[in-house]
Amino acid sequence: MPELYLRLLDRILTPVLLILTLFLLLRGHNLPGGGFIAGLMAAAAFQLQILSRGEVVVRRQVGRYLHPGIGIGLLMAVSAGIAGVLDTGFFVGLWFDIPLGPLGHLEIGTPVIFDLGVFAVVVCVVTSFLLGLNAVAEGVDA
Amino acid sequence: MNPNLLAAPIALPLFVAALLLALSRWGGRQRIGLQRWLAAVTLTVVLVVALALAQFTLGGQRLVLQMGGWQAPFGITLIADGLTAILLTLTALVALAVLPFAIATIDLHRERMAFYPLFLVLVMGVNGAFLTGDFFNLYVFFEVLLMASFVLLTIGGQPAQTHSGIRYVVLNLLGSLVFLAAAGIAYGTLGTLNMAHMAQRLDAAPMAVRALLAGMLLVAFGSKAALFPLFFWLPSSYHTPPPAVTALFGGLLTKVGVYTIFRSFTLFFPDLLAAWQPLLLGIAGATMLIGSLGAMAQPTVRRVLSFHIISHVGFMLMGLGVALNGEKLAVGFGLSAAILYMAHHMLVKTGLILAGGAVEIEMGGDRLQSIGGLVGRRPLLALLFFLSAISLAGIPPFSGFIGKLTLLQITLDSRHWTVAGVSIVASVLTLINVMRLWQEAFWGKYEHPGRLTPWLLDAPVRRWLVLGPIGALLLLSLGLGLFGERFFQMTTTAAQQALDRTGYIAAVHPVQPESVAGPAETGGHD
Repeated sequence: MPELYLRLLDRILTPVLLILTLFLLLRGHNLPGGGFIAGLMAAAAFQLQILSRGEVVVRRQVGRYLHPGIGIGLLMAVSAGIAGVLDTGFFVGLWFDIPLGPLGHLEIGTPVIFDLGVFAVVVCVVTSFLLGLNAVAEGVDA
Repeated sequence: MNPNLLAAPIALPLFVAALLLALSRWGGRQRIGLQRWLAAVTLTVVLVVALALAQFTLGGQRLVLQMGGWQAPFGITLIADGLTAILLTLTALVALAVLPFAIATIDLHRERMAFYPLFLVLVMGVNGAFLTGDFFNLYVFFEVLLMASFVLLTIGGQPAQTHSGIRYVVLNLLGSLVFLAAAGIAYGTLGTLNMAHMAQRLDAAPMAVRALLAGMLLVAFGSKAALFPLFFWLPSSYHTPPPAVTALFGGLLTKVGVYTIFRSFTLFFPDLLAAWQPLLLGIAGATMLIGSLGAMAQPTVRRVLSFHIISHVGFMLMGLGVALNGEKLAVGFGLSAAILYMAHHMLVKTGLILAGGAVEIEMGGDRLQSIGGLVGRRPLLALLFFLSAISLAGIPPFSGFIGKLTLLQITLDSRHWTVAGVSIVASVLTLINVMRLWQEAFWGKYEHPGRLTPWLLDAPVRRWLVLGPIGALLLLSLGLGLFGERFFQMTTTAAQQALDRTGYIAAVHPVQPESVAGPAETGGHD
């Protein structure tokens, strides 16, 4: 059941939430934050969508990607662990230094991939919970 | 041996489960077939890894992996000794036996609802609990297997399933809560959660801390292992999912609880094994008796078999209770007998639940009163059921005999007459129970309560998918019984390794926190 005010709020809040998500995801590498918290935040954005547009619409848009999303996230996380075996051991972090010309250089490693994987798993799992719960709340047969 | 091999029994099933989930939208009709094949290949590879680990560790060595190259108390340790390797092998065998049965009997709806990925995640959780050397990580793996088993229990959405699933998850979460509280207390008082490091520091800890931790762990793991008086979640949930799922649970889940009791008491509290012996043996006796008496009163095949699981867990605990005893027999004989019994139980129980499940599907129901006379229609199934049943009851030449004999030997040797007597009574009751099943289901007038005509054993491929694993498990049980001495030597090595806590601590080699900060440059695995 779409709500007018919420739809207005949704246009402002969803981008803010998603930017915050990105910030938390990248910050989490050395500071509090990370894939799990960012994932919850992104799921909150989905919940806002569900509240403003209704569960049916959101399910039609993203429902089919949730299961594969969990799988892809898990794959990324496990692959980051397995990649360590190429170096010395399971879950040993590998680091790549990518030169960016005038911008300096970017040091990126397998922990980032792990974090992205966790992010994907959390977003998809929590969103599918939320869709299920909202379906019950709205009286729609899940 | 490369320590990274230790990650394989965890990483591989998880990786394949993730792959199956990721591909769950593509492939159309061939998708389910692909999932089946990938699951089978994965489990086979895990079995090979487990066998390699067993071959290595039963030579008396331990294999340690410090994940991420972080030294022991800082990172997460994976460690395999003989006990772990034996259980990993058995887990892979049980999973490989249940998989064909599941392929033949699980309906398309469940297969579409990610049955095979969940199956693999469950195996991963069990393997992880056996392998981990980190207390909190153990908790995580308990949760992994609890969640995977909860979903396996409830997919399909029958009201009875949901009902039992809620009881199952609530009671197990209570057990997990106690475990988590114990982990918190351990961290608060000992300042570490690495199991080897904890064992080191527990030696100097006050008796109150040790007793509190031991008690909480006994409650937490006892509820996972379905020990008296915390067993009630098991018979109220195991009869509702499809038989393949029950067989997987019956073969694996309680055994994780038993393993953790073995590990925590031998590693953390070896002195309490002596001091608390009356308590442990009392619980063991009560569990054996309640399990087999409860089974007498059950009206369906699967409920009888799930009560038996409880009874058998009591036998395993009895072995632990006398682990440090021995007058004529060596110290560790009891634990060795318990491990052998566990091996026997995992193989035979799974086979018997599968056979019972085949009866149930064939008949369209498993109320003992309303089924009967299957022996003329399905002679091969009847034979397999009968042989599995007498193996469970402990008739030679099958493995049940040697398992019960060794346990009886050590209890008599250490003069625990009462518990020895109770175990004999429980064995006789088990025999009566399985003979009751055999008589009710297979003899008498042919009765068929189901509305559908029997379909399970008609198509040749499906027939072998169902009967093949039961037969294979039976052969393994026969092998275990015939070559009992060789296997007993292996379990003795494993038991002595498990009791040798200084060796365990030295293998993990936790560094003192003052001396190192940051990841070790060398990778830290040796």
